[in-house]
Amino acid sequence: MTPALDPKLLEILVCPLTKGPLRYDRERQELVSDKAGLAFPIRDGIPIMLADEARPLDETETRS
Amino acid sequence: MGDDIRIFDRQVVRLHRDRAARDLARHDFLFRETADRLVERLDDVRRRFPVALDLGCHGGEVGRALNGRGGVETLVQADLSPAMARLAGGRRVACDEEFLPFAPASFDLVLSNLSLHWVNDLPGALVQIRRALKPDGLLLATMLGGETLKELRHAWMEAELAEEGGAGPRVSPFADIRDAGGLLQRAGFALPVADADTITVSYPDAMRLIVDLRGMGETNAVADRRKGLTRRATLFHAVAAYQRAFADDQGRVPATFQTVTLTAWAPHEAQPRPLRPGGASIRLSDALNGEPRPVDDSPP
Repeated sequence: MTPALDPKLLEILVCPLTKGPLRYDRERQELVSDKAGLAFPIRDGIPIMLADEARPLDETETRS
Repeated sequence: MGDDIRIFDRQVVRLHRDRAARDLARHDFLFRETADRLVERLDDVRRRFPVALDLGCHGGEVGRALNGRGGVETLVQADLSPAMARLAGGRRVACDEEFLPFAPASFDLVLSNLSLHWVNDLPGALVQIRRALKPDGLLLATMLGGETLKELRHAWMEAELAEEGGAGPRVSPFADIRDAGGLLQRAGFALPVADADTITVSYPDAMRLIVDLRGMGETNAVADRRKGLTRRATLFHAVAAYQRAFADDQGRVPATFQTVTLTAWAPHEAQPRPLRPGGASIRLSDALNGEPRPVDDSPP
């Protein structure tokens, strides 16, 4: 079972590049920045907010 | 952002830290010492800081030193190296000081222990820190100053000139305390103060110092450093030169670490500030000769 992301962290985290809001994808354990088109991985409950570790979103994924 | 002044290779900074995280407990002496000194400053502040960030947390030294100080209830620990962040425990984030992932006005307090000297765009990082602070929030940060490792710098220079016929930057450049106050002010902080402190560590020999620096993840990450492995002859020459120049009568050598501590507040209306020109309520001439009287003429 994957550890849930700490709610306090979820409250204060934003996209490091756009400073825009993030979407928490519980299934994939990712924090998604629609504006930047990037998904930041959460590993062992630790959000990895580094651009070079983020997964670029494909077109079908973006919601904005 | 920041690409125009790229002094440090941030990938290398991260790599050094990832590597150091494996065996940090044997080499974290300096981090623990400066973490203690940093959080002691909170004792002088009569305020509580419920939500705090430790930016560049290494193995969580500041978090452990805090130990209930400053009324911190929630501490977020962040490091460029995910391996370091994992080591720190608690609420953790891997992030880059140059691209902070925190919403405006998230924290009452931002602490940073010996990390900001690896940032290329320090003015940019300070602006982002200021925005992440609530109004009247406090930044309390140490970074390594320009006097740091002056002995090692000297020894490398001598060794490279002798063995390789030229010298490149072996020891990273550090911050100058004279710049720090101005930087904080330009980043929009109020009441900025920068002060310096020197810690001299005694080592049995210079090799032990170099091993320790590697163990802390604090070895050179200058972008245009000499690439590739250090030649053995140069390394031995540097160790010998260090010994020759600095050893005491027992053969031990000193290593200087200068820490620059930055204290600054996110602006808030209640803070003391100079009046706007023409905003005086008492005439200077009256204040200088006898009883001050209110200014009676209305402003133009």
